[in-house]
Amino acid sequence: MASSPSITTTVPRAAGLRDAIGHLRTARRRRLGMVLATCAVALAALGTLGLMLGDSTIAPGTALLAAFGAGDAGDLFIIQKLRLPRVVAAVLVGAMFGLAGALFQSTLRNPLASPDILGIAAGASLGAVTGLLTFGLAGIAVAVSAFGGGLAVALAIWFLAWRRGLHSIRFVLVGVGFAYLCQAFMTWLLARAEEREAASALLWTVGSVADVRGEDLGVLAVGALVLTIGVAVVARTQGPLALGDDNARALGVHVDAARVTTLLLAVGLVALATSFAGPVAFVALVAPAIARRLLSDGSPALTASTAVGALLVLAADLIGNHQVFGVAAPVGIVTGLVGAPYLLWLLATNERKERR
Amino acid sequence: MTRTPDRARRRTLVLLGLVAALGGTILASLALGVRDIDPAVVWDALTGWATGMPLPDDQDHRVVVEQRLPRTVVGITAGAALALAGTLVQGVTRNPIADPGLLGLNAGASLAIVLSSVVLGVSSPLGFIWFAFAGAAGAALLVFSIGAGRPVRLALVGATVTALLTPLITITLIQSSTAFNLYRTWAVGSLAGVRSAALADLWPFLVVGAVLAAAMAHRMNMLALGDDVATALGQRVGTTRVVSGVAIVMLSGTATALVGPIALIGLAVPHAARRLVGTDYRWITAVAFLLGPVVLLVADVTGRVVLPHSELEAGVVAAAIGAPVLIAVARSRSLAGV
Repeated sequence: MASSPSITTTVPRAAGLRDAIGHLRTARRRRLGMVLATCAVALAALGTLGLMLGDSTIAPGTALLAAFGAGDAGDLFIIQKLRLPRVVAAVLVGAMFGLAGALFQSTLRNPLASPDILGIAAGASLGAVTGLLTFGLAGIAVAVSAFGGGLAVALAIWFLAWRRGLHSIRFVLVGVGFAYLCQAFMTWLLARAEEREAASALLWTVGSVADVRGEDLGVLAVGALVLTIGVAVVARTQGPLALGDDNARALGVHVDAARVTTLLLAVGLVALATSFAGPVAFVALVAPAIARRLLSDGSPALTASTAVGALLVLAADLIGNHQVFGVAAPVGIVTGLVGAPYLLWLLATNERKERR
Repeated sequence: MTRTPDRARRRTLVLLGLVAALGGTILASLALGVRDIDPAVVWDALTGWATGMPLPDDQDHRVVVEQRLPRTVVGITAGAALALAGTLVQGVTRNPIADPGLLGLNAGASLAIVLSSVVLGVSSPLGFIWFAFAGAAGAALLVFSIGAGRPVRLALVGATVTALLTPLITITLIQSSTAFNLYRTWAVGSLAGVRSAALADLWPFLVVGAVLAAAMAHRMNMLALGDDVATALGQRVGTTRVVSGVAIVMLSGTATALVGPIALIGLAVPHAARRLVGTDYRWITAVAFLLGPVVLLVADVTGRVVLPHSELEAGVVAAAIGAPVLIAVARSRSLAGV
């Protein structure tokens, strides 16, 4: 995939092999540091922008102070009750989708494996649309039915793909089957429904962080933290798994256990994020692909993908919220527009580099 | 690959069985529906129509010739086209979850339909079919121009282009209710309606696409061994990809424009074919060519008879049939790689 510099070209003398590996490691670490630092700066800048902009513009200093609890009552209300929860939710949800996507893709060894394509997002959408159109649900009940839909599909994929272990092609194929099944029934429900109801259901299926309330953010943050700690524990297995099941076994990885744990954590991340924000489209597909190309060292890029995901959703929410395309669009509509052109550009330039 | 007589006999039996199944589903498609018609009457109506006799003033004859025959023809051609395109896509990208939609074709067609409705005021399926075809071709061109280098990249670029176009579709749909209504009736995937008239214009694309697909089958076998091996065997890998891409656009672009994005046929049928006849793409292509129409027609007929007074669209039933097939193939003991 990514073109890693080969040892022979970097250091000609065999005596310097250890040095060469050391250089490579330093270079990789430095590159990761650069990417993470850039993402952090961009997140801080966009986050501040998110706090500043709105019906009334607030100066950056005032906005940041208010975020930490200092300032007059009006600013405090706007920042802490309205804008901060939205920014935090966008960052958390984006990070969770980015991390989950990287986990899916590395453990299933397929760059297309993401909740969007594996039917988990489609299951959540179908759950929401069924709740909205068939049972006339509203508010939190829709989120619950979306959560149920996504989780039910994930478990069904699991159950059906299990055959003396969890083989990645089986998991991916069964997942895609469910994606199309859910998609078809959702389209059918949309085609049958009253136009106005169908339009609002369509909106729900794209995902939004606009309605996440400050009080609920604690649950989201704690859940994300617990799952991320779990990921940190299994992260060591991801590198060997990328080399293939047999190689990973030879390196001492318990392949089935590692894959099951990783997928459980990834599904948990997706389910939790989806229940808060809906199935925000394409983040889990695009963020890991961008992160892998930014690092271009062949690693699963878990940390970088988390950062890129957070950045992607935060940027997309800013663009959508402030009517850059003429309508106030929920974040899930914009994520593809923000991430995809950049990824295409990376793919196109990467190609040229490899041909050279 | 061992070429035992058993395997050859099995493959021939599969083909014969599929021909019989296709005959049966065609008959069912002509005879069954809201009004069930006796097979003998169907035969009378067909022979009468084929010999150019004027249509008798008989309700059954009219239904067979004017409604079910065009619908069946659309089903056969679209089913075969989607299955062939799916086979080619999986061969070219070497990704088991690849289908024509993955190369951005469905998103391109959808965006073109939506835009033609909003910008040019196109309101009928007959009017937007050319736009849909052009949109599918444009998206595929973009995907191939960026991703033609390597199979993994091709699939990834396709998914990314879909990720890029889908938001544009959704934004337009939110703002225009006429586009939304036009889109959702097309996207559900149906064989009913005036589509056969468009088939009269588009059939050359399907013929050329099918011929190219058949010509590429042998090359897919080499490509399955990897780009390097295929090159070493004397194949121009780049040419194979471009020709396959042209065939995919012609087949899938036309079929999608006609019947909507019925994605699972292009995905599930090649897998089922692989399960039936092994990994030789020449046989997979032949089986897919027959199995695609069978699945789409069965889906259409089932959709007609399953509800008492209305119809389920073929796209929904095809998903309901295709997904379990795909899952069964994925669960089978000897899951053949792509």
